[in-house]
Amino acid sequence: MDLPSALQKLSTFRARNTRASQETFDKGLVVLKGNGLKKLGDESWSFLEQLALAAIDVGRLDIADRCLQLLTDKFPGSPRLDCLHGIRKEVTESPAAVLLYYGKLLQADPVNVALWKRKISVLRRIGRIDEAVAELIELLDTFYTDVEGWLELVDMYCSVHQYISSLQSLSHVLLLAPQNPFHVLRFAETAYTAGDIPLAMKSFLNVIDMADADEDAPAEQVPSGFTIRAWFGIKQCACRLQRERITSPSQTAVPEHVQLFDELATERLKTVYAGRDKSDKEATEVLEWLARV
Amino acid sequence: MVSYTVSHQAYVKMILHSAKYPHKPVNGVLLGKQDGSGQVTIEDAVPLLHNWTSLSPMMEIGLDLAGNYAASKGQQLVGYYQASERVDEVSLAPVGEKICSKIRESFPDAIALVIDGKQVGSESAALMPFVLSSGTSWRPASSSSAPFTAGSSFALASDASPSRVLTLIRETRLHEKFGDFDDHLEDVSIDWLRNEASMDPSP
Repeated sequence: MDLPSALQKLSTFRARNTRASQETFDKGLVVLKGNGLKKLGDESWSFLEQLALAAIDVGRLDIADRCLQLLTDKFPGSPRLDCLHGIRKEVTESPAAVLLYYGKLLQADPVNVALWKRKISVLRRIGRIDEAVAELIELLDTFYTDVEGWLELVDMYCSVHQYISSLQSLSHVLLLAPQNPFHVLRFAETAYTAGDIPLAMKSFLNVIDMADADEDAPAEQVPSGFTIRAWFGIKQCACRLQRERITSPSQTAVPEHVQLFDELATERLKTVYAGRDKSDKEATEVLEWLARV
Repeated sequence: MVSYTVSHQAYVKMILHSAKYPHKPVNGVLLGKQDGSGQVTIEDAVPLLHNWTSLSPMMEIGLDLAGNYAASKGQQLVGYYQASERVDEVSLAPVGEKICSKIRESFPDAIALVIDGKQVGSESAALMPFVLSSGTSWRPASSSSAPFTAGSSFALASDASPSRVLTLIRETRLHEKFGDFDDHLEDVSIDWLRNEASMDPSP
């Protein structure tokens, strides 16, 4: 692995906030040992932060501590570093000690979002989910536009099976980031899990709409990426709507021609799998499944 | 007394799945057979989700496809497995209880295996078996000897599996080639039912 390609990849990870810790760590080590810090110039500090986090994730605390030392020498007393030190403490110190550390820092700076989020994540980890939810709601009251925070709340509600609350939090995500189809997909799957099949159906169809609006290509193309997941969802909803008597807690109307949606989803998914190579045994299995359900 | 044996292939697949997404919860189903004397052989594992493990639509489809696949090989769904994103968490998630209860409808001796993150790095089986205790509540299997030790009703087909899977992860990075149903839904060329690319022929 050469230095320029490692640097390139790491910068992409930073920009996209990708948590590929093992790869980040391996490439980061090349940079650290290959005298890459000088090449990075001002960027070297965000690189060291990235490597420290990845090293903690893969359990190489020696490297994490080396990065932290370099950063501390450069930025003594930085609040951003306080947070990184906290994450490092989370590995080896007791949750109580870490909560105390975050608590003290938050007393001095009550609106440090990064520290506040760490505290919430520790509370969640040790099972104090009620407190974690309460704190996160308070945080979102202050920082309403924090999409990441809302998604964490969505996930916490989901983990304790409060799907209606999860859907409500997701609505805020949809308001704040309306152009992201993954959030709509998640909304659809949560609605399905909550038993609101008509709402799920509508949301899955929205996902398809968003993908179509996004493409310049002709509409008759083979579905790919997240639209495949959405078509599977539509298929599943259409089957349920035809088989069972279903009510919608959100009073969403059942589409008029459910059977046509069923046929359309089947046709769309068939184009995905029929185009696969004959040696792909899984494609055959999915096609058989489509023919049967 | 029902007893369970976990094949090398099933063990490897479960651990590879948890190693591919160490910071996420993962789950999947167990495929196998039961003989006349009650002995259950867990022959294979099919990995399902890592994204939204407590949401049900893709889980329902995945279960259906995995069930058909099992039947085509003369096997059936005999259980469920999961790993938590937290290394010290070994309880069965409520969603797991729900799926196990569903598998139980067609296989009364269904079992759940929870991957014990603290044990994965050791030479012994990193699995915690859960069985139905009463009604709908699942509890860690209780017996006079600890699971996966001599005299317990849970065993690995090969004692070498735990150390072998560590070699596969650390040296050949086999987990990077591994894919589940969630991966497949993003890229349909990913072979999640069989995972032929990450098969290990012998321990």
